[in-house]
Amino acid sequence: MDGAHQSDGEAVLLGQRVKEAALGYGADVVGIAPTDRWDDFVPEGYRPYDLLPGAKSVIVVGARGPTAGAWRSPNPRVMEVLGLDFANDRAIAALTGWVETKTGHMAIQAPGLSVAGHQPPFSYMLAAVLSGLGTRSFAANIVLNPRFGLLYYSACITTLELPADPMLEQDVCPAPMCVATYKHIGKTPCMAACSADDGGCLDGSIGEDGRIEEVYYDRERCVSRAMNFGPVAFQKVLADLAAEDDPDTRRAKVHSDFFSRACAGVAFYKESVAQCFECMRVCPVGRQERKLK
Amino acid sequence: MTDQSPTVSAEASRKLIEDTARKGGAVVFGVADPARFSAAPPGHRPEDLLPGVRSVIVLGGAKPRAGDWASPNFQHMELSSTNDRVTALAMKIAHLIERELGYYALTVPPGVDEGQQPFISLSLAAELAGCGTRSLAGPVLHPEHGFTYFGALLTTLPLPHDKPMEAPACPAPDCVSMYEQSGRTPCTKVCDAAAGGCLSGRIEDGRWAERQYDAGRCTARVYNHWIPSFQKVLADTLDEPDKDRRRMMLNSGLFTRTLWSMTYANISQGQCFECIRVCPVDARTRDLR
Repeated sequence: MDGAHQSDGEAVLLGQRVKEAALGYGADVVGIAPTDRWDDFVPEGYRPYDLLPGAKSVIVVGARGPTAGAWRSPNPRVMEVLGLDFANDRAIAALTGWVETKTGHMAIQAPGLSVAGHQPPFSYMLAAVLSGLGTRSFAANIVLNPRFGLLYYSACITTLELPADPMLEQDVCPAPMCVATYKHIGKTPCMAACSADDGGCLDGSIGEDGRIEEVYYDRERCVSRAMNFGPVAFQKVLADLAAEDDPDTRRAKVHSDFFSRACAGVAFYKESVAQCFECMRVCPVGRQERKLK
Repeated sequence: MTDQSPTVSAEASRKLIEDTARKGGAVVFGVADPARFSAAPPGHRPEDLLPGVRSVIVLGGAKPRAGDWASPNFQHMELSSTNDRVTALAMKIAHLIERELGYYALTVPPGVDEGQQPFISLSLAAELAGCGTRSLAGPVLHPEHGFTYFGALLTTLPLPHDKPMEAPACPAPDCVSMYEQSGRTPCTKVCDAAAGGCLSGRIEDGRWAERQYDAGRCTARVYNHWIPSFQKVLADTLDEPDKDRRRMMLNSGLFTRTLWSMTYANISQGQCFECIRVCPVDARTRDLR
């Protein structure tokens, strides 16, 4: 199979095969975007073809992380530990290999982890929007998918030219229920759960047209709450330990429950890198998918 | 069993789940009744994690292979034995239950959490699901497969429950014979509490009448390259006034291995397998060409 010289029909068929493969590898949704869509949104160095010369398409997969049962658990630590199961990473790793093997085109897994500050070389969130899988929300700018709500995204950049999916024309956020809530109390459910004027992270307004008018998201505050056992907490404790003069206090801190959990958070065996799911817990988008027997 | 899906019976659901589990590598499978976890402290029972839970599914697998046990290099086992595959399988089954059968499912997070307590004791779950019985050395042993790693998931799906095994897997008949001759079993001989080890006990009528397992001593031996070891070395390093010695400690082989074990390599959490190495319970599954 060679995507270099193909008719429109062949291209459509190839796009379908790519999507079938991704779904077979565990993705819940798949979208495809041409690389030139990035030109208006990111600076030089952050475009797909800066990462893979000659790149033509970006294939984006989204996967549900926690089970509906995990969302239902009254013990918040369950979500903190099981909040991510890497289904999106597994799917994209397999799909990237599939693209190279089956089409003969180059493909890479897009690098989405932060390399400086909070800045990744490639934004999965932007990729999800540009490939038509979702739109940004009031809730920490998380990209919400119209069917599933919160998804975890990964992307594959390839030199294979594929038919593009349209970007969503209708915003997923605010949902009709949130617009109604906003009209009543001046806040959406996520703003009410984590209100910036009450020590939380979120604020914003909805215009007359029912769309997002203004968004406020305090990322630093969110990080300080949502990442209490990952590398950020580990570094904080380490700095505190290095500055502690009293040997007994230092030893107590090293062996404390908190530091043990911070270590577990940076260790691979637990995925406890995010702790706060409250804005998503109250989000109505995708709730239907979490409603089981 | 009245709240079944109109299309899938409890028995058929169980078969689908068990077939998927076994295909995914589980060698042991059982379902426990969540109402029987009264031995667990409050906060660590199935209902505490998943309201409305009706079944606790237990999977056992990823046991060391016969070749792993046969390796003369003891460090091989230290680097290769892990419960990750069983936990991943439990997650797969949880998704199957939610997406194909339409019931809530939650994988019990592995390991320990606050206060070094597990979310739910996998050993207790395994016993209640009839997947084995507790051994003198601590791990739950299955009479055929011996030592396996366990994973568990909770679900609101009603399933036929298993019962705990009536006959204990430990002591095995060979161990009883050895005890009658020498006063010791293979595991109490290899790790004798009276000689600085962790185990001792007395057998009467083929069962343990007294047992001693020094969990603190065992932990100090088993977890030498993982988070507890990291904390130990870090505490010592921060206490060390001499800069050169401090630098040496941070660059030591012990600290390097510790970091490997707790980060991505994730393959060296436990180091001592000696009591299970001599355990005869699944000896025949280790006897290959």
